[in-house]
Amino acid sequence: MKSHHVQHLYWRAGFGGTPNQLKTLSKKDKRQVVDELFSESTNITNLEMDTSELNHLVSKELLKDKAKQAEFRKLSNEKIKDYNVFWIHRLVTSEEILREKMTLFWANHFVCRDQNIFHVQQYNNTLRKHALGNFGDFVKAISKESAMLKYLNNKQNRKQQPNENFARELMELFTLGEGHYTEEDIKESARAFTGYNNNFEGEFVIREFQHDYEFKTFFGHTGRYDGDDIIDMILEQKQCARFICRKIYGYFVNDVIDEEKVEELATVFYKDYNIENLMRHIFLSDWFYAEENIGTKIKSPIEFLVGMRKTVPVTFEKTKDVLKIQKLLGQVLLNPPNVAGWKGGKSWIDSNTIMLRLKLPSIILANAKIPLKEKGEFEDSFEKHYSNKKKNKFVTVKVDWDSFDKQFKNLPVNDLKHQLIIPELSDGTETYLKTLSQKSKRDFCVQLMSLPEYQMC
Amino acid sequence: MCTTYVITRISNVLIMDRRHFLKQSTLASSLFFVPNFVKAFENISAKNLGYKRLVIIQLAGGNDGLNTIIPFNNDVYYRNRPTIGINKNEIIKVTDELGFHSNLLPLKKLYDQGHLTIINNVGYPNPNRSHFRSTDIWQTASSSDQYLQTGWIGRYLDEYGNKPYNAIEIDDSLSLALKGQNINGIATKNPQVLFRTSQDPYFKNVLEHYQDEHLSEHNLGYLYKTMIAAESSAKYIFEKHKTASNNQEYPNNEFANQLKTTARLINSGIETKVFYSSLGGFDTHANQINSQARLLKMYAEGVEAFVNDLKQQGTFNDTLILTFSEFGRRVKQNAANGTDHGAASNLFIIGNQLKTPGFYNELANLNDLDANGDLKYTVDFRSVYATVLDKWLAVKDQTILNKSFTKLNFI
Repeated sequence: MKSHHVQHLYWRAGFGGTPNQLKTLSKKDKRQVVDELFSESTNITNLEMDTSELNHLVSKELLKDKAKQAEFRKLSNEKIKDYNVFWIHRLVTSEEILREKMTLFWANHFVCRDQNIFHVQQYNNTLRKHALGNFGDFVKAISKESAMLKYLNNKQNRKQQPNENFARELMELFTLGEGHYTEEDIKESARAFTGYNNNFEGEFVIREFQHDYEFKTFFGHTGRYDGDDIIDMILEQKQCARFICRKIYGYFVNDVIDEEKVEELATVFYKDYNIENLMRHIFLSDWFYAEENIGTKIKSPIEFLVGMRKTVPVTFEKTKDVLKIQKLLGQVLLNPPNVAGWKGGKSWIDSNTIMLRLKLPSIILANAKIPLKEKGEFEDSFEKHYSNKKKNKFVTVKVDWDSFDKQFKNLPVNDLKHQLIIPELSDGTETYLKTLSQKSKRDFCVQLMSLPEYQMC
Repeated sequence: MCTTYVITRISNVLIMDRRHFLKQSTLASSLFFVPNFVKAFENISAKNLGYKRLVIIQLAGGNDGLNTIIPFNNDVYYRNRPTIGINKNEIIKVTDELGFHSNLLPLKKLYDQGHLTIINNVGYPNPNRSHFRSTDIWQTASSSDQYLQTGWIGRYLDEYGNKPYNAIEIDDSLSLALKGQNINGIATKNPQVLFRTSQDPYFKNVLEHYQDEHLSEHNLGYLYKTMIAAESSAKYIFEKHKTASNNQEYPNNEFANQLKTTARLINSGIETKVFYSSLGGFDTHANQINSQARLLKMYAEGVEAFVNDLKQQGTFNDTLILTFSEFGRRVKQNAANGTDHGAASNLFIIGNQLKTPGFYNELANLNDLDANGDLKYTVDFRSVYATVLDKWLAVKDQTILNKSFTKLNFI
């Protein structure tokens, strides 16, 4: 396999490959490389955080005691921030590359937000567990997650007064897409999900006296359906496979959709809704490696940050710095803007985010200074602002350049370019890079990361 | 939200007329290296566009209009809302039928001064009850069965603007409303930070070496183009921002900060015709009473400070503030002491040149709801847009809205 193609695969299925990975894998053929990718993700390693600080609060007493509830909320919110940092760390270090990337994908599909750290953690691990599994089981599990029951108000969905929120988003965002169901279908399916609830421990329960056991008419069929029945009936629609495959294609292949390819994928997926088979089909196909699909996606903020940290490991001293960067770039994990999630693609980029993205590698890795051969007139003020005054420091980090040196030791400076930049560089940019002193691999790394081309994968 | 639609939308927004595009970028990049280009801009100045400004505020999430402007003499209202209906004695009554939520006292003052027009039952045929879709409909000014890839302010920029900063969103990111075919608005929460970030010698060198071929590339071209436009706009906005200040204390919250920045920019004489901001959290499916009250208070107090700031600096006369929400909420409350997504709702116009201050029209009949139990619209929101475009911004509304809509009489 061409090393260029390995890098493409590793960027889409993960966050980029290391020089050693590229070297080793490019000696194998496509099937071997892809098989390895999947076998490395067979395990499911839950992301579990130490929550013992909260132990003294976690008992049913909490439900009665307002002061304790307030304390719990406060601590829980702090823990969720830690969990965010912990998750990003996982993305940087995990060897279950594909499972983690898929988990990130699904987190922006089954979009959910919650304030209870235990439920957040449970939800996150449900995403991880089903990330490469059966899509039907996945949807059913999601419909029963405490965080989701709260987020889309299914807990308040009762026989006497159905709440349509979950039923609507289930079809609009999670399975079919708008325009493939009627308002009547929403009303009827909402009744099937009545009585869904969770207990204090976050486990799913049906409140029988709130569940509507009467007949419902959904997609032209009538029966005493419950939520799982509704999900099964949704999956029978090929549109569901099509909807998911279109989203997968947009995320893993190209945000310019090729309808023929989507149809090809939908046919594969509709057979058994097996996510792993679908992904294997994509990564083994020739078209996945077509030039027009390589280096043409704009990295999400998380892909950008994680990729950078895989190349040069850094440790942030403060949790809030990690969150601040995500916020400014427009993607805070565990805190999506709304149930539709982040739109992705070009919508990541506006005047503010593009400038911050180009500036960030130097801010984090080089005290806000992009090494230059020739100095420009504005440099002084900027440098002064970020590097001279401690209080203006944007973030406080420890940069592990030694690890970078070790990782890139055998790579010639000129190959660093191919390692870090996926799309073809234009002649103009090539010319400019030549004018820069390439004596220091570290400096050149920061320079490359500050190019618009580095934003692509 | 339909993914196909989003993706086509995103790509179409950015497939632009290459000629136009190159012209624009060459201009932008050459201007960038002319030290005094800001001065040059000032001379072209506001003549082409006029001095009138529009400030748009979106109450995101679907504000419950019926608990905002309350029909306190209506039995149907109280019957449908046994626990969340607002008590008669807590309402600031202004007519025999309608009154303000008690946290809207600042708005009542504007009402008394003739600075507020409330248009009831604003919506559109076959209302969509999804936040995303309905927000898109409002932001693109489309019908509910039509998918447009550009926003109505974006199309205004295409026709009448020439720089991203002709429309500024006070936020971290740009809404579809401000995205045109050939030109997008610009988003900034803090002009200083924006400027500081743009002034990096390395960027300039990279841009100096950029070539046209970059620009034709789908996503990468977009990055370069955004970078070029950002650089010149950041400088202009910052230079302007520096020259003005706020004359008024604002409440300490993010929404008030947005308005504070807006006022400062308006008072600087910046060549920006449209400002866009939003206040989120109105999606009150559960325990609505407290959360909506808190948000309405934030809204009203922020707007009050904003209007006072403009008044003191003599810019209120040329500013029109339009507040909308993507939909109202169901008349009947749900079991969680909240309300589900509805349809038509009220819309506020605030300004000093209103023709019909007060209530523009009557509240629709609560006994005559649509099949979902929602208010029926009597005023199409695009009639409001058409009126603002024609009578306030003095441009051809039909060109921007792609269709002719009946104009209203509020300005």
